[in-house]
Amino acid sequence: MFRIVMQHIHGKTRICFFLAPLIMLGEVFCDLQQPTLMSNIIDHGLAKGDMHFVIQEALWMLMFAVLGLIFGATCGTLGSYASLKMGEALRSHMLTVALVDRQPGGLEPATLITRITNDVTQMQNLVMMITRGMVRAPMLLLGGVVMSVIVCPDLAPILFVIMPILVIFMLWIVRRSIPLYTKMQQAVDTVNRVMRENLQGAKTIKAYVLEDHQLDQFNDENAQLRQTSQRAAMATVILSPVIQLLLNLGVVVALGYGGSLAISQTISDGQIIAFVNYMIQITSAMIQTVNIITAFSRAITSATRVQAVLDEESAEQLPVVTTVVPTGSDVEFDDVTFGYQQSQPILNHVSFKLPAGKWLGIIGPTGAGKSSLINLLTRSFDQYTGTIKIGGTDIQEMSLAAVHQKITVALQDSLLFSGTVRSNLTYGAKAATDVGLAAANQVAVADEFVDRLPANYDAPVEQAGKNFSGGQRQRLNISRAIVPKRDILVMDDATSAVDQTTNAEIKTRLEQTRSDQTTVIISQRVTNVMDCDQIIVLEDGQITAHGSHAELLKQSDFYRQLVQTQLGGGRHGHASTRTS
Amino acid sequence: MDMHRHGPRNLHREKVQLNNWQQTVTRVWHYLATRKWQLVIVFLLTIVTTAVTIIGNRINGIVIDQYISKHRLQALLIVCAAMIGMYLIASVFTYFQNSIIIKVAQDTSARIRHDVFANLQRLPMTYFDTHDNGDVMSRLTNDVDNINTALMQTFVQLFTGVISVLGMGLAMIILSPLLTGIALLSTLATYLFSKAIAKLTQKAFMTQQAALGSLNTQIEESVSGKQLVQLFDHTTATMTMFNETNETYTKAAFRAQALSSIMGPFNNMTNNIAYLLITAAGAISILTGHGGITVGIIFTFLIYLRNFTGPINNVLNLINTLQLSLASAERVFELIDEAPEQDAPAAVAVKQTTGNVTFEQVSFAYDTRPILKDINLVAKQGEVVALVGPTGAGKTTIMNLLTNLYPLQHGRVLLDGRDVTTMRRQDLRRLVTVVQQESFLFTLTIRENIRLGRPDASDAEVELAAQRANADVFIKQLPAGYDTLLSENAHSLSQGQRQLLSIARAFITGAPVLVLDEATASIDSNTEADVQTAMTALMQDKTSFVIAHRLSTIQSADQILVINDGRVIERGTHQSLLAENGFYAELYNSQFDQA
Repeated sequence: MFRIVMQHIHGKTRICFFLAPLIMLGEVFCDLQQPTLMSNIIDHGLAKGDMHFVIQEALWMLMFAVLGLIFGATCGTLGSYASLKMGEALRSHMLTVALVDRQPGGLEPATLITRITNDVTQMQNLVMMITRGMVRAPMLLLGGVVMSVIVCPDLAPILFVIMPILVIFMLWIVRRSIPLYTKMQQAVDTVNRVMRENLQGAKTIKAYVLEDHQLDQFNDENAQLRQTSQRAAMATVILSPVIQLLLNLGVVVALGYGGSLAISQTISDGQIIAFVNYMIQITSAMIQTVNIITAFSRAITSATRVQAVLDEESAEQLPVVTTVVPTGSDVEFDDVTFGYQQSQPILNHVSFKLPAGKWLGIIGPTGAGKSSLINLLTRSFDQYTGTIKIGGTDIQEMSLAAVHQKITVALQDSLLFSGTVRSNLTYGAKAATDVGLAAANQVAVADEFVDRLPANYDAPVEQAGKNFSGGQRQRLNISRAIVPKRDILVMDDATSAVDQTTNAEIKTRLEQTRSDQTTVIISQRVTNVMDCDQIIVLEDGQITAHGSHAELLKQSDFYRQLVQTQLGGGRHGHASTRTS
Repeated sequence: MDMHRHGPRNLHREKVQLNNWQQTVTRVWHYLATRKWQLVIVFLLTIVTTAVTIIGNRINGIVIDQYISKHRLQALLIVCAAMIGMYLIASVFTYFQNSIIIKVAQDTSARIRHDVFANLQRLPMTYFDTHDNGDVMSRLTNDVDNINTALMQTFVQLFTGVISVLGMGLAMIILSPLLTGIALLSTLATYLFSKAIAKLTQKAFMTQQAALGSLNTQIEESVSGKQLVQLFDHTTATMTMFNETNETYTKAAFRAQALSSIMGPFNNMTNNIAYLLITAAGAISILTGHGGITVGIIFTFLIYLRNFTGPINNVLNLINTLQLSLASAERVFELIDEAPEQDAPAAVAVKQTTGNVTFEQVSFAYDTRPILKDINLVAKQGEVVALVGPTGAGKTTIMNLLTNLYPLQHGRVLLDGRDVTTMRRQDLRRLVTVVQQESFLFTLTIRENIRLGRPDASDAEVELAAQRANADVFIKQLPAGYDTLLSENAHSLSQGQRQLLSIARAFITGAPVLVLDEATASIDSNTEADVQTAMTALMQDKTSFVIAHRLSTIQSADQILVINDGRVIERGTHQSLLAENGFYAELYNSQFDQA
């Protein structure tokens, strides 16, 4: 944890980080002077009737109070600066790691987002705490003990009895309550899940008249939650009365024992008063320390989660490669095998050649490896064996930018960024003109609704494109891939949410505009791939059939069955051939 | 454990809008009223424990003045013994007081949660359509939590705080008006300063929140769109933009936090100054012989001071927290008050049907937006009726009216000649099984999920249904078979497998009328055939309505209704509609004859 912090504070920030606790020492020192000075006033000033001395000591007290403020405020400012700067650097670092990461099978986006947002905030709070509380509470504690021993050594044994009891007791309670709180958190999660599912599945519940059934289930979980919360709360409820009692007992003993000493003239009234004041200070410092330990353990969880993200940063430098973009746009896979685990390959000895200007269709069940194939081609992952070539050049010898100059993909997941229609469409080509956008939109059949938007290309797009329907998002997604005008276009199941009429229209327009450009269509619909020059049937990571529509009807049982279920009997003879 | 509550947020008091707080308080009280004797006990215990604190501190002073100074050792020890007894009792009281409060608070919030959830179950579909899940969830979780916290902590703290402040204030005034004035001044200074700081920081906090919002949006977007960022070589551009926002946020946050970090040290200083003023003023008046102040009184005051400034500031914060909790309670009660779906007053119980369905001149509008216009339809027992048409044409809505999910404005929907709105909803829905495009699967085992179709079905019946739905094979291949626990809407299953499970669930109901909403999105190809044969088997001997996308379903249907723009524009069989060469023929051909 400390390592994460140190890695993300440099220069000025680092100075602030180390300076703040030092300055805090000053504040603690000032705070600790007060009871002693006060005791002096009572014992020396009052006893001797020395008004001058009283005023002198009071002025000292005032000076220490003001100094305390100056130290405290400075420490707070430095601490805020250090913690915020650390957070800034950490967020930026984590996001970079997340964005350039090209390892297959990394963290889920949702998890990553929580880690970059919440967990970094936790770390930020932690640093703030280190610079202030970590020093203040223990130092007040320690200083309080030292000062009270100095002021009144005779009463010190009281502290040495009460403090260990208090510490052991608090730690015992905290330890005992942690598993109970974990249980409670689980119960909270379950109840939340039941509630969330009831909202999401409201229609299903109504359709199957499950209202009472669900309510019964909820009642069980709700009772469970009530019980575990009560148990967890009851485990800690003893804490405050016991702390209060020990402190009060300490005060009484100080008065009784100290009083008897004072009566026998060994110590003075002022000493007793100062001691009691120190004891109150010590107790509150101790409670703060325990709180900080609890918060610290929470921050450790965050730190571990943050570290896991940073660990994804690959030390591996991409080899020095040519940035030359090959002219040819044929694609070749030669004995390509890829898998997250060696034993379970996602792609298994895949080989094919797609000549420049030709169309390739890839069809196969979910999980057959269709998208992985594209991920390798675009160099989202590099951990494969075999060779992949674009225009005769091994893609491993090309820079990432060079690969992306050659190829664009309309991904299955049609994520739009918040901004405008224009900012989304020009995502791959900043310099695209309105004419270029219009042309791409026409191919993607996005023109009809974009042209109807009041602000056209400047119409706002909300986060995740929420203000567009699923079909509209997919069409904008396709358009976004067409705008950069790359030599090779991949459509990765990019029309799954558009209705069939529009799907057919997109296909027609693509054929019209890209008839002599390399195009790869991945789909579950036979109609989308049947007119391609070559079709690959991919099952379980292997190419089980490869050929034209007519050839596959003869060769592949899988393909034939697919045609039957999707097109019904007898109509597949009508498949038109794309004029090339 | 509640470090966070002392964060800078406390400074930035939110403005709370309460519509009817008297009513809300009354309703919260209704929940608490069943426990009123326990609350009375808590009330009494609180008074005792607070009094012990005040009296104990005063005795400390008296001990110094009366016994130590006057060398009365025996009396001193007796008083000390008495104090130990008193503190012991107070601690026991505190323990009971807190325990009772925990029980009452947890029970009450469990009851509130139950009431909200129970009502939520009975709300009409329109409610779920028009309300954001996130908002409802937040009422069910955060708002109920806020009520719980208010009951458990805020309430008691506020009560204790008020009693301490009043009691101690009184004791202090009696002891020494002069020293009380000094204590009050320091409290006032702290209060005014925190107000001033809050005002200064408010703007900074708002900028910080706004910056944090856009910071989080950017993180969310770029992480979820990582593949796009990489594909379009956008990493550098994204990071440049992000770093800018990141810096803006840090700057705003620094302004806000640096300002508010002065709060703690400032309070500390005012306390210390009050401390010294009391000591000095006390000492001076002892020396000059004014005001009847003794060393013991100074001692008592110093301890009171620690217990006085704290509660007053606390009380001010707590009042704000209490307002927030009341606002939460108001939101929760709003949900409890939502009008539930109710059967017509004279609704009849219907246990069976032959399955003749008629739509008579049915029109329906959502809000003011017309969705269906003049739909007529007769489906005889055992017929298959296919509804086709573009997305958004109103096909699903027609079927929602059959199960009385939405109130229709005009016309009638009849089941065996009886208006469905005159039937008990639960009966009607048991007679009509709906397989939605994406039926929801709950976090239960596969067995339990299928059984939801008819909760009293036996294991054998569940497995039979799965077999008939073609789901048996893949279920048995799962490590735990039928006892496999599905999580988060069954993401571990493919879309096709999820459909097979929802078909199995429909099999088990055995209802004579069936509505099948076929999924538009393409599913994995090898399951597709299974889904189709399962659907065909499911339709056997039932009056079936199919919102159809698959050609095989359409071709074998007894009737096909072509819906466009909320109207039936064509009707007939596959053959007759093709011959008509209208909208249907065009729709059908568009899927194949592409050039």
